[in-house]
Amino acid sequence: MSKQALNLEETVVENRLISFWRLLTGHRLLYLTAVIALGLAALAQTGIFYLLRYFVDTVLPSETLAVQLPWVALGFVGLALLQGGFTFTSGRLAAYAAEQIALEVRNYLYDHIQRLSFTYHDNQQTGELLQRATSDVEALRKLFAEQGVGIGRIVLMFAVNFVAIVAINGRLALYSIVIIPIVLIIAVYFFKKVGEVFDAFQEQEAVLSNRLQEHLTGIRVVKAFARQEYELERFEDDNYEKFRRGRRLSKMHAIFWPSTDVLTGLQMIAGFYIGAQMAIEGTITVGAFLAYAGFLGQIIWPIRNLGRLIADISTGDVAFTRIKQIMRETREPLAEQGTVVPGPDGLRGEVVFRHVDFAYDADTPVLHDIDFAVRPGQVVALLGGTGSGKTSLVGLLPRFYDYTGGSITLDGVELREYRRQELRQQIGIVMQEPFLFSGTVRDNIAYGAGRVVTQEEIVAAAKAAAVHDVIMSFPKGYDTVVGERGVTLSGGQKQRVTLARTLLINPRILILDDATSSVDTETEAEIRSALLTLMQNRTTFVIAHRIQTVMTADLILVLENGRIVQRGTHDDLVDKPGIYQQIYDLQARIEEELEEDLAAVDGYQNGYAMVGSR
Amino acid sequence: MVKKMSDHYYEEEEFTESFNGRTILRIFRHGWNHWPLMLGFIVGIGMVSLMESYMTYLTKRIIDEGIIPGDMTAVWSISLQYMLLFVLFAVFVYLFIMSAGTLGHRVQYDLRKQMFAHMQKLSLSYYDRTTTGWLMSRTMSDPTRVGDLVSWGFLDIMWAVMSIISAVGFMLWINWRLALVTLVVIPLLAVAAMQFEKHILREYRLVRKLNSMITSSYSEMINGVRVIKSLRREERNLGQFGELAGDMYQASYRAAWLSALFLPVVQLISAVGVTAVVWFSGREFQNGAVTIGGLQAFVSYITFMMWPIQELARVYATMQQAIASGERIFSLLDTKPTIVNAPGASDPGSLRGDILFDNITFQYEEGKPVLTDFTLEIKQGETVAIVGPTGAGKSTLVNLLCRFYEPSAGTVRFGGRDYRTMTLHSIHSRIGMVLQTPHLFSGTVLENLRYGRLDATDEEVVAAARLAGAHEFIIDLDEGYETQVGEGGVLLSVGQKQLISLARAVLAKPDVFIMDEATSSVDTLTEALIQQGMETLMDGRTSFVIAHRLSTIKNADRILVIENGGVSEMGTHAELIRQRGHYYNLYTKQFREEKAEAYGLELAPANGNDTNLSLAV
Repeated sequence: MSKQALNLEETVVENRLISFWRLLTGHRLLYLTAVIALGLAALAQTGIFYLLRYFVDTVLPSETLAVQLPWVALGFVGLALLQGGFTFTSGRLAAYAAEQIALEVRNYLYDHIQRLSFTYHDNQQTGELLQRATSDVEALRKLFAEQGVGIGRIVLMFAVNFVAIVAINGRLALYSIVIIPIVLIIAVYFFKKVGEVFDAFQEQEAVLSNRLQEHLTGIRVVKAFARQEYELERFEDDNYEKFRRGRRLSKMHAIFWPSTDVLTGLQMIAGFYIGAQMAIEGTITVGAFLAYAGFLGQIIWPIRNLGRLIADISTGDVAFTRIKQIMRETREPLAEQGTVVPGPDGLRGEVVFRHVDFAYDADTPVLHDIDFAVRPGQVVALLGGTGSGKTSLVGLLPRFYDYTGGSITLDGVELREYRRQELRQQIGIVMQEPFLFSGTVRDNIAYGAGRVVTQEEIVAAAKAAAVHDVIMSFPKGYDTVVGERGVTLSGGQKQRVTLARTLLINPRILILDDATSSVDTETEAEIRSALLTLMQNRTTFVIAHRIQTVMTADLILVLENGRIVQRGTHDDLVDKPGIYQQIYDLQARIEEELEEDLAAVDGYQNGYAMVGSR
Repeated sequence: MVKKMSDHYYEEEEFTESFNGRTILRIFRHGWNHWPLMLGFIVGIGMVSLMESYMTYLTKRIIDEGIIPGDMTAVWSISLQYMLLFVLFAVFVYLFIMSAGTLGHRVQYDLRKQMFAHMQKLSLSYYDRTTTGWLMSRTMSDPTRVGDLVSWGFLDIMWAVMSIISAVGFMLWINWRLALVTLVVIPLLAVAAMQFEKHILREYRLVRKLNSMITSSYSEMINGVRVIKSLRREERNLGQFGELAGDMYQASYRAAWLSALFLPVVQLISAVGVTAVVWFSGREFQNGAVTIGGLQAFVSYITFMMWPIQELARVYATMQQAIASGERIFSLLDTKPTIVNAPGASDPGSLRGDILFDNITFQYEEGKPVLTDFTLEIKQGETVAIVGPTGAGKSTLVNLLCRFYEPSAGTVRFGGRDYRTMTLHSIHSRIGMVLQTPHLFSGTVLENLRYGRLDATDEEVVAAARLAGAHEFIIDLDEGYETQVGEGGVLLSVGQKQLISLARAVLAKPDVFIMDEATSSVDTLTEALIQQGMETLMDGRTSFVIAHRLSTIKNADRILVIENGGVSEMGTHAELIRQRGHYYNLYTKQFREEKAEAYGLELAPANGNDTNLSLAV
């Protein structure tokens, strides 16, 4: 179906150079060609200057000038064509390699992130992951597209032109590069320094941005206290500081560029002077001097930019390190080899927990000695406070997390023996926070089915989930786009769409997590009946908030600190002293108190009426 | 409520298609406000481009006057000139970088300042319509683009134009016939540059669009990863994402190689120019009309010329973005506040007295009136509780009372006086407000308290904190009143934030008090302190409470039940309970929830006689 993204997990290692080299797998030849083409382009450029030398020294003074002239002209065009051709080849190949690498990394990261374990995602911040997957990948792309070839370009240009000057005169060549180490040191130092000043500038930008954000979210307070003047002053301080730091940044540039201008300028003039002297002495020809003037420019120009390039490379390197951290995380295996796959008729849904323990990490045990059995089609209600372990318990069934002790069997087979992928196909989950993807309502309902679904099936599911009428009330019906850029559905509507989605999956095991907590009063009854439809003939685990569900459940498990403290049916538990009874009694007491409270008002009314009648 | 503008609104309008002359002029005027800086970079860059061309001319002279005749003194004196020129050159480079850099940041600073000041005048209705994200990018990113255009953009244009003109000038000076031949190259270069830029720009727009789609795709995947896993969508998601990433690859590869083609093409065109010079120079050389140095100069000028042309093409592209930014900035600056002081509005000195909602008709959206001919009189010192389900429009009355919004018909009267004859500042500064999610600003506790009255002494602040019941917890903080509260007050609990905002309101000594009670639970002690603080504030003041706690509701002099934007029931607690209507339902539901919380039970939403329960350990 889709092409499997390359596995880059093995590709990246601690050593960054090896990692870069490995990322280039499949594109190495292209990339090397790109760099070599740059060298050839530099050579062609050198050729142009040589031709100029030949033209001035040999052709111009010759008698047969008119005959030779067309050939020289043609030579210039030819060399320019070569130069342009090689430059373009290099640019295109480098772009190709870099974009291919970016494509691979993007695809890989996407797939990798969605396959990392629940535990990983529990501990990650969305913004952070997002930044790595987008801006850092972009920085990596630039590293290959611009900086990698950039270094090659500078080195080759320098080498080719230096050799060309050596060919004219060795002593001249040495005189021409005296200043280069100094300029190089200044440039590297400057770009390191400017990086710091730039960071300070960016920091202030963040400060200003936070100030603004805070102001905008607190705009009601500002208005309520009529504090506009005061806010202006505070904004002014941060805004001015940003201006000040920006000016400082400009100042650094304003000092660096002219000073290297002067240095390289002096180098050039010195070169000219010595070259001219040699030309006058007859050590070199006039044409050679002209060619030399050209080469000199080609040597000096790249050196100033080397500092910037090095700064950019270190930025790219930081980005790559951040991406590497994600890449080296271990995935959750979905389709392990040699494990059990449920038969074609699916599961029956018999679940047995035997002395199950679970901990996210060794220090924090979450579940302890969980022991119970469910027959196919039964309903298990889990009761317990926040942190009692009920969500973790149901998370074990689809193997979102693997239990650390004891045994769970499903239809008599150890749960660990099932392949995650097929196992999850048999389990439907309705989450506390309904999540819809951007797309049409139809897409969202068909989302989990994993097969082609007809319109009739979708409508049937929507009707069963009591959301059909709501959908039809939208102008575009099932084609209504929901999510980020579309219609906003209420919590209850979203919840019912996810119910329809789950109905289409037709799972054998159902997990309902706080399914009605985000729903308003009116739609609650409808959802409840939709839920009952869904629960028919399915083994159901309910994280319960609703006494009806608890009362009719085949098994109620009361959890506390990761242990089952009470178990049984409603009738068993209501007469036994314990948490369940306490809850039940408290509930009754609240109702009594409410009656009394309301009666107080009515009593007052009656009393008043009596007084009035006397 | 009013539907908010999409956060993506601005992303889709990154570029403007046409050049809007008025916007450019207006942008330029922002730069001209600092004309010495602008003049600085114009002079600087003008001199720099002239000198660059003159340097090439000096090289010609070294050849013609020094090398050819073999005159070493001439070489020396020209080299000396060259050196002096370089020093001067450096001075002008310093001048233009310094002035352009400063100007760019200065214009950004000006624009942000203006926008921020203008935003202070805009009415709350504007903020309800506009997302924070939109305003953030208007104030943060758009000025950067405009600032860059005013400084570096104009500078690059100046440099390119000046360089071309001076190079052409020198060529004409050296040999006008040869110069005319090479001039053919310039329009060729310009056309090529424009064509390229058009295509590259189109590709880059596509890349940006795809990039934002990739970002939202990632974001959705990360947010929905649990659902994806449980629905086994990994393969298909990767398939869908793969298509998107493939499109991105196509577009950015195309953009990249188009850009890579640009330079060689330009180089080739200038090579044609060089060839033309070589071709025609033969005759000129034999005539003695051109020297070897002259030839060298021609070659240099022509090969150099491609840089300014390339620069122009680049600026053209960024200019479109900057102009679009400018248009958005100016649209914000040109937005007129909907609520302003009426001519002759004055400060009434006090808002005490009876409050009258006088025949008010009001709507957020045209054609959907929320209140129609609504009249309500509140006696001085009365406490009104406003109750109703979430999103029913409880804040409408508060918005009208504070004049955050104005009624489309009717008015609000304080002590009989139409509040439209009063200044906005006089109203706002006399109404104390405590919000449901109390907003604090980053800074110390003391600074946040003083927000209520800026000229209050430390003693007065502490006294207010004591009155509001906030003093005890504040002095228990690590650094007492000097404790940092963090951004938005994150370092404090909701209850603590509410106590501080109560104290802030106490300090302001308002005539009218408005409170939006918090729904989230706070511990019993804090709860009692908040109650005490509220009573202090409500004592003797006309008060409006958007109420969530039963005790507050029951103690109010009057209860307004708001449903679907309008007032559905009004009366005292006893009267409304007897009606067995909306209030009755709300009250019983609230009663169960509050009791359940008190007993450590956590109740799911219930209706009628359902019994719902769960545990909250």
